[in-house]
Amino acid sequence: MSAPASALPLEERRALPAIVSWRALTIFVTASAVLGPLALIVYQSFLTAPFFDARKTAGLGAYAFVFADGDFWKALLNSVLIASGMTLIAVPLGSLLAFVMERTDLPAKRWFEPLILVPSFVSPMVLSFGFVVAAGPVGFYTVWAQDLFGVAPWGIYSLTAMTIIAGLTHVPNVYVYASAALKSLGSDVEEAARSAGASPFRVAISVSLPLIMPSMLFAAVLVFFLGFELFGLPLVLGDPEGILVLSTYLYKLTNKLGTPSYHLMAAVAVCIVAITFPLVLLQRKLLQGARKYATIKGKAGRMKELPLGKWTWVALLLLVAYLFVTVIVPVSGITLRAFVTNWGFGVNLMEAFTLDSFRFVMQEPTHTRAIWNTILIGTVGGAITVACYTAIGFATHRRNDGWSRFVDYLVLVPRAIPGLLAGLAFLWVFLFFPPLTPLRTTIFSMWIAYTVVWLAYGMRLISSSLMQVAPELEEAARSVGASRGTISRKITLPLIRPGLIGSWLLVFMIFEREYSTGVYLLAPGTEVIGAQLVSLWQGGAIDIVAALSLINIVLVGVGLAIALRLGVKLRD
Amino acid sequence: MAELSVENLHLTYGDNPILKGVSMELNRGEVVSLLGPSGSGKTTLLRAVAGLEAPHRGTIKIGERAIFDGEKGLDVPAEARNLGLVFQSYALWPHKTVADNVAFGLKLRKVSSADVATRVKKALEELSLGHLAERFPHQLSGGQQQRVAIARALVYNPPVILMDEPLSNLDAKLREEARAWLRSLIVNMQLSALVVTHDQSESMAMSDRILLLNNGVIEQQGTPQEMYNSPQTLFTADFMGSNNRLAGKVSDVEGGNALLTGEGWKLWGRAKPSAKQGADGTGMVRVERVRLAEGPGDNRVQPELTTSMFLGDKWEHVFHLGKTLMRAHGPTMLQRGTHWVEIPRQDLWVF
Repeated sequence: MSAPASALPLEERRALPAIVSWRALTIFVTASAVLGPLALIVYQSFLTAPFFDARKTAGLGAYAFVFADGDFWKALLNSVLIASGMTLIAVPLGSLLAFVMERTDLPAKRWFEPLILVPSFVSPMVLSFGFVVAAGPVGFYTVWAQDLFGVAPWGIYSLTAMTIIAGLTHVPNVYVYASAALKSLGSDVEEAARSAGASPFRVAISVSLPLIMPSMLFAAVLVFFLGFELFGLPLVLGDPEGILVLSTYLYKLTNKLGTPSYHLMAAVAVCIVAITFPLVLLQRKLLQGARKYATIKGKAGRMKELPLGKWTWVALLLLVAYLFVTVIVPVSGITLRAFVTNWGFGVNLMEAFTLDSFRFVMQEPTHTRAIWNTILIGTVGGAITVACYTAIGFATHRRNDGWSRFVDYLVLVPRAIPGLLAGLAFLWVFLFFPPLTPLRTTIFSMWIAYTVVWLAYGMRLISSSLMQVAPELEEAARSVGASRGTISRKITLPLIRPGLIGSWLLVFMIFEREYSTGVYLLAPGTEVIGAQLVSLWQGGAIDIVAALSLINIVLVGVGLAIALRLGVKLRD
Repeated sequence: MAELSVENLHLTYGDNPILKGVSMELNRGEVVSLLGPSGSGKTTLLRAVAGLEAPHRGTIKIGERAIFDGEKGLDVPAEARNLGLVFQSYALWPHKTVADNVAFGLKLRKVSSADVATRVKKALEELSLGHLAERFPHQLSGGQQQRVAIARALVYNPPVILMDEPLSNLDAKLREEARAWLRSLIVNMQLSALVVTHDQSESMAMSDRILLLNNGVIEQQGTPQEMYNSPQTLFTADFMGSNNRLAGKVSDVEGGNALLTGEGWKLWGRAKPSAKQGADGTGMVRVERVRLAEGPGDNRVQPELTTSMFLGDKWEHVFHLGKTLMRAHGPTMLQRGTHWVEIPRQDLWVF
């Protein structure tokens, strides 16, 4: 027997404080970027004039003005009605689609799923505009229906229509949560019900859907809360009839007084956050509940599809009808509109064909800059954003201290601030802090606002990647003597690289889609398509809006195609 | 009378054949085990009977009623087969109480609610679960969950009850109690049960007949005694019990006996049909039949002791005979070095 070899000495550890301060720096920067703008809004709301105005004093005047305004209460009521209505539409439809897609043997499922998710990747501004040109009073489908049947029994400029369209376009939000929950449900509980004598329909009603109730409830709160964030849809569809919701009320405040009414806007913003923030906290609580519930399910693993049999056609019909109304109608509307000079009764599509809109877009520097900036912010900006999110992810990864919990809550805060408000807040930050003011007219101002607005979404992507790394892999590195920093760089980071590339693509798509965050930050030099569309729509330049919308759809489509090609999961 | 009969069943996953022509019968009041290593197709066979897998050839009948016929394109859906199925994971519905779990099958059969209540109560009491009726599955222990799963499958009196590894989720000690309990429950209630298991001792303890599956076909079937004491193939011999395996050459065959020759040893054993003179052969002997001997003698070898393990009621000695590993049981510890070991002629099978 040979004597055991003596242990090799471990390399001297690097000084610990260096690592700690990296983490502290990350947390500090994140906290400032998230809480700074929010604090500024709250501060502004308690002033009687804009913060740069010398005559400002502290007071509740802004709130008094807003609460005395009848339009504010009307807008609030409309927001509540739309949010409730769209929840009632999106939750049952989304859950049903999820059940059909996840648990049954519906044919061609693989092709349907990306299509179902399309409404969550296309800008709501673009979709709403699509509904106007496709199904508005002189929309393509309206005109065709009148030619064919003599009537087109629909109108899109009403609270009901807005609610229905909002409900349909938010089906993907329910779908992703319901199908994730159904996916993790073992098929044995369904098979047990079938063996006991239950038909496929009975299985869904008695077993599968009750078991995912927590996730459906979570999705319901999410959709309800997104109802208060709606901006593009009520702006496009509510404006003609003067129907205001909270966000459009805020947007129109400037017109009301004719002077910069920052204090009033801030007061409305605080009211909106006062509604959304409790909903975000409720959501978090529900999500934890849903996870607990998920631990007492059947054995996942082997999945067996439920044969639909004669229900196949019913399911297909439902799916195709949904896709037709929600995806095909608006997208085809925009595509057609972008290639015609004008449209109305008696116009021949062939004769009206033109490429002038695109020619005009390409000749106009603000538009070309908008396209270029949009691509830049999605690709380069998206990559830097994912790097930032990853740094924040590492700051909390496998640490269970107070700072981690702080960051957990911190990343939730932007979730409660609608993009429109976040953009406004960042505008104020750039005006408020003179050292930052030169950055105001660069694309950086857009990028930082986008990054903060999508922080919660991005962190979910990053942490789901991080969670997939088995703790043993990191513990093994630790046991052979690697420090925390080395583990992060040499073990965890290489392991999550595919997840990061996927996150980059998803961030690219949402950055292409984003529009409301840029509304207030739009300036020469910071043009992006999304915000440009809002401004052009206000000016009534329909041809240009159609052309830019189509370009926007194509950009998102390219991202989607690459993501599908690389097999990126479009949802967690 | 056959309560369940399966004939020439074929089933394929993609290009991968799982069942390659399985036939079997289950008689009334009988417990039959489907035994086999993982991947042998035993669970697939059970699930095909339940209607949860789709075979492409063969027939399945419950009593006189055909529930699957590949040629006629008949495939009765799982919910219309009226069988009781107990899952390995129990698959209790977490959102229903114990009573509701058990009642569900009755409600689907349009039993009046008063009847449902009495039947559920009776079923739960038979399985000593009466006091747990209002609990939810996650409030029960593993053993209790298993009994609920059984009650749920029995309550509507299916002609056949199918069990997929019913004991594998219990811990070792509970498992031994549960198998005695399950056996007496099935016998007392005169159920016809088909039980999947991968544990040969469990299958011997619980069943009237064993079907040993290997690679999608039935390797051998018979009573536990037949399976253990007269295996027809090397696979059966090896799968049942704990064995020593000796590789050598069949140097002589006479009168039902065969002489197996290895490196430095010669042993006589009973010739199995596959043993051919001059060919390679495999000797198989149950560990408990190997005897420690004092000195040389008939069918004895002298291997070297590698290690000894104390098992509580006995010692297990591990020897090396050349490169061949050999195990034997004994009452005491042994010294290092070589020892004489006897392998009785009638206990050595030569394949």
